Amino acid sequence: MSAAIESEPTFVDKFPDEARVVRAAFMSSFFALLLGAIFGIIQTLHRTDVARIIPSTDYYTVLTAHGVFMVISFTIFFLVGLFTWALTRSLDRPLLNIKITWTWYGLMAAGMTLTGISILAGFVDSIDMSADVLYTFYAPLQAHPLFYAGLTVFIVGTWIAGADWFRTFLAWRSEHPDERIPLQTFMVLTTMTMWYIASSAVAASVLLFLLPWSLGFIDQVNPTLTRTLFWFFGHPVVYFWLMPAYMLWYTVLPKIAGGRLFSDPLARVVFVLFVLLSTPVGIHHQYLDPGIAEGFKFISMTNTMFLLLPSLLTAFTVVASVEYGARQRGGTGLLGWLTNLPWRKPEFTGMMLAGLMFAAGGFSGMVNAGMNINYLIHNTLWVPGHFHLTVGTAVALTMMAGTYWIWPQISNKPIFSSQIGLFQVVLWFIGMALMSNAMHAQGLLGVPRRTAEPEYSGFDYPTMFGGFEELNIQIAIGGTLLFVSTILFLGNLALTMGNPTVSGLAEPLPSPVSGAEDAPKVLDNLRLWVGIALTLVVLAYALPIAAIINRGGLLGPGVGTYPVWVAPLFDALADAATPLLAAITDASGSLLEVVR
Amino acid sequence: MHIHAYEKLWLALSIVLILALIGTVTYGAVGPGVAMVADSQSTVDPGALDEDDRFSEPRVEQVGENEYEAYVVAYQFGFEPTPIVVPANSTVTLHITSRDVIHGFGVAGTSANAMAVPGEVSEITVETDEPTEYGIVCNEYCGAGHHVMEGKINVVSQSEFEDRGGDSE
Amino acid sequence: MGQSEAVNAPTDDVGGEGEEFDPIGTLTLIGIYFAILVLAWVYIYFVEFLGRDLVVVG
Ligand code: HEM
Ligand SMILES: [Cu+2]
Ligand SMILES: [Cu+2]
Repeated sequence: MSAAIESEPTFVDKFPDEARVVRAAFMSSFFALLLGAIFGIIQTLHRTDVARIIPSTDYYTVLTAHGVFMVISFTIFFLVGLFTWALTRSLDRPLLNIKITWTWYGLMAAGMTLTGISILAGFVDSIDMSADVLYTFYAPLQAHPLFYAGLTVFIVGTWIAGADWFRTFLAWRSEHPDERIPLQTFMVLTTMTMWYIASSAVAASVLLFLLPWSLGFIDQVNPTLTRTLFWFFGHPVVYFWLMPAYMLWYTVLPKIAGGRLFSDPLARVVFVLFVLLSTPVGIHHQYLDPGIAEGFKFISMTNTMFLLLPSLLTAFTVVASVEYGARQRGGTGLLGWLTNLPWRKPEFTGMMLAGLMFAAGGFSGMVNAGMNINYLIHNTLWVPGHFHLTVGTAVALTMMAGTYWIWPQISNKPIFSSQIGLFQVVLWFIGMALMSNAMHAQGLLGVPRRTAEPEYSGFDYPTMFGGFEELNIQIAIGGTLLFVSTILFLGNLALTMGNPTVSGLAEPLPSPVSGAEDAPKVLDNLRLWVGIALTLVVLAYALPIAAIINRGGLLGPGVGTYPVWVAPLFDALADAATPLLAAITDASGSLLEVVR
Repeated sequence: MHIHAYEKLWLALSIVLILALIGTVTYGAVGPGVAMVADSQSTVDPGALDEDDRFSEPRVEQVGENEYEAYVVAYQFGFEPTPIVVPANSTVTLHITSRDVIHGFGVAGTSANAMAVPGEVSEITVETDEPTEYGIVCNEYCGAGHHVMEGKINVVSQSEFEDRGGDSE
Repeated sequence: MGQSEAVNAPTDDVGGEGEEFDPIGTLTLIGIYFAILVLAWVYIYFVEFLGRDLVVVG
C-alpha cells in the first residue's frame, strides 16, 4: 500500500476519465490500422501479381478502404487520443465536461462507421452501394451519399474535439493569467487552428457540391473546383497527420533518450510556421492540371519549399535533444555518443527509425514539390513510395513506438514484451525500406500508382534499377514484412491489455534545456498567426478559385452554368490582392523580428 | 530569443537549400524551357466534343514545317487516336481532354505527363527524336477498368509518316 | 503526477541558464544529410528529368 502512495501517479491515476477517452480513441485507431493492413497486403500482392485473390475490378474497393482507413481513421483517431492526453497532462487539469468529450468521440466513430460501410458494401454485389472513389474522391466519379455524409459527421466530430480543447485551455487561462502556454498545449492549439482552416474547404466541397450532387439535387459539379477544394484540405491534412509525431519527437523522445528538449522556443516557431504555411500550397498537387495558370503553380511551389524549413529545423532540434541525452548518459566523441542511446527500447528505436525514414521522405518530397520535375513522377508509384515514408512510417511508426511508451501511462499496465516490440519496429523499417525504395524506382520507370495491373499489353517498361519484375518482388516482400509487423504490434498490445495493473509506471517529462521563458511572448499570440495564415490562404487561393469558377462555372462546364457574378468578382479580387500583399510583407517582417 | 550558433548555421544552410531548389526549377523553366500545363486553352463542353473544332475528330495534323498538333480524347477506358503517330525530329503539341471523368496521360519512361480533365484542355509541347514507340498509361484512377486503359505514341520516320498520309488535312 | 512541465513550475528548472552544450554530433550528421540531399537532387533533376525523352517545352 505504502509503495503505491509513494510512487508518482500516472496519467490514469490522475485523470481516469480522460484516460478512458484516450484508450477508446487509440482502440479505434488500431482497429483501423488492422483493417488497413489487411487491405494493404491484399493490394500489394495483387498489383505485383504474386497472389490475386480478388478480381481486378475490386482492387479499387480495396484501395479506397486502405486509403481511408489508414489516413483518415488510423491517424486521426490516434491524434485525438494523443492530444487529449497531451492537453490534459500539460495543463494539469481535467477537461471541462467529459460528456462533450464522449460526444465528439461518438460522432467520429459513427461517421467513420458510415463511411466504412459505404466502402465495404462495394464488395457485396447484392447491395446497391459503393464508394470506389479512393480517398481523394475526385468528381465526377461519384460515391454513395453515405460516404460523403459519414465523412462530414467524422469531421464535425473533430471540430467539436478542437472546441473541447480550446475551452479547456481558456478555463486554464483564467486560472493562470500570466503563465506561458505549456508546450504540448501550444502544439494542440496550433495544430487544431490549422485543421479548422484546412477542413473548411473540404467541408464546403462536400456540403455545397458533392453531397447534394450524389443525392441528385444538382446535376453536375465542376471537377477542377472540387479537386482544388480537396487539395486545399489535402496538403495541410498531411501536417495534421504529422503533428502528433512531431509532438512525440519534441516532448517524449528526448525524455526516452535520457535528455531534454533542446529548445522550447524553436519548437513553438516550428508549429507557428506550420499554421502559416501548410495551407497555401495545395496547388502543388495540381501542377499538371489544365485550367490553372503557371503563376499560381509557381507561388504554390515557393510556399511549399519554405514549408521545408520547419521540418529541417525539427531535424536539428530533435537530433540535438537526443545527442544531449546521449551525452548525459556518458556518450562522447563526434558520433560515438550514438552508442550510448537506449536502442533496446522499442519506443526509442521506433521513433528514431521513423525519423530516419522521414529524412529520406524529405528528399522525395522535394522532388514532388519541384514544379516542373513533377512531370517525371506525377501519379507514378514514386508518390506512394514517398508517402509511405512520411505518413506510412514517420507518422505510423512513431505512433506505434509512442504507444509502447504511453500505453502504460494511460492504463497502468506494463507492455507485454519489449523484445517483440523492438523486433516489430525494426521489421517495419526493413519492410518499408524494401517496399518504398522499389516503389520509387518503379515510379521512375513510369509505372503508375493506383492500378490493379500495372503491366500493359502494348509496351514494356525500360530496364533500370533492376527492372519491373524484380522490383515487384521487392515490393511484395516489403509489404509482407510490414503486414507481419502490424500484426505483431497489435498482438503485443492485446496481450498488454491482459496484463494486471501495477503501480510505479509514471514517467514524468523533463523541462527543456532552453525553456518557454526564453520564447518571445508574441509566439503565443494565436490571433495574430490565424490572421496571417488566413491572409496567406486568401492570397494563394482567391485568384485561382475565382479563375476556375470563371472558366468552368460553379457547377461545371456544361451548358448554362456560367454565372455572371463571377467575372466582376474576379476583377474585385485582383484589386484587393495588392493591399493584401503589402500587409503580408509587413507581417513577414515582424516574423523575422521574432526569429532574431 | 536564444538560438545556438550551430542551429543558426543550419537555418542558414536550410534557406540556401530552399533557394537552390527554387532556383533549379526556375533554371529548368528558362534554360531548357520546361513549361507547365496551364490555362492556355479555352474550356470545352465534355458532353459535346463532336461539336468542338479541336476534338470532334481526334487526330494529328501538320501546322508548320516540322510542327504538328495532336488532339487526344481520353475516355473510359482508352485514348483516341491510338496509336498517336508523329514524325521523328519534329515538334508536337498535344491537346488532351476527357469526355467523361478525370484521367491521366503519362508517357511511360519519359518526362511527358498531364492530367485529362473533363471540360479543360491540357496542352503540352514535346520534341521527338529518332523513330521509336512509347506506351501511354492512364495514371489517374478512372473507374473499374482503369488498368486496361493504355495508348501508344509511335514516332516514325518522316517518309513513313508521309506514306501513311499521317496528316489528315 | 509530477508530469507537469517546467512552465507550470519554472523554479524547478535546472536547465536554461548557462548550459554549455554544443551539439557537434548533430551538426555532423545533419551536414552529411545536407550533402546527400544536394547530390541526389542534382542527379534526379539533371540526369533523370532533363535527360529523358519528351521533355515538355511548351
Ligand atoms: C501494412 C502495411 C502497408 C502496406 C503493405 C501498404 C501497401 C500499399 C500499396 C502497395 C499501395 C499502392 C497501391 C496502388 O497505388 O495501387 C498503398 C497505397 C496507400 N497507402 Fe499503404 N501500405 C501499408 C501501410 C500504410 C500506412 C501505415 C499508411 C498510412 C498511415 C498507408 C497509406 C496509404 C495511402 C494513403 C495509399 C494511397 C491510396 C490511394 O492511392 O488512393 N499505407 N499502400
Ligand atoms: Cu501536398
Ligand atoms: Cu484511368
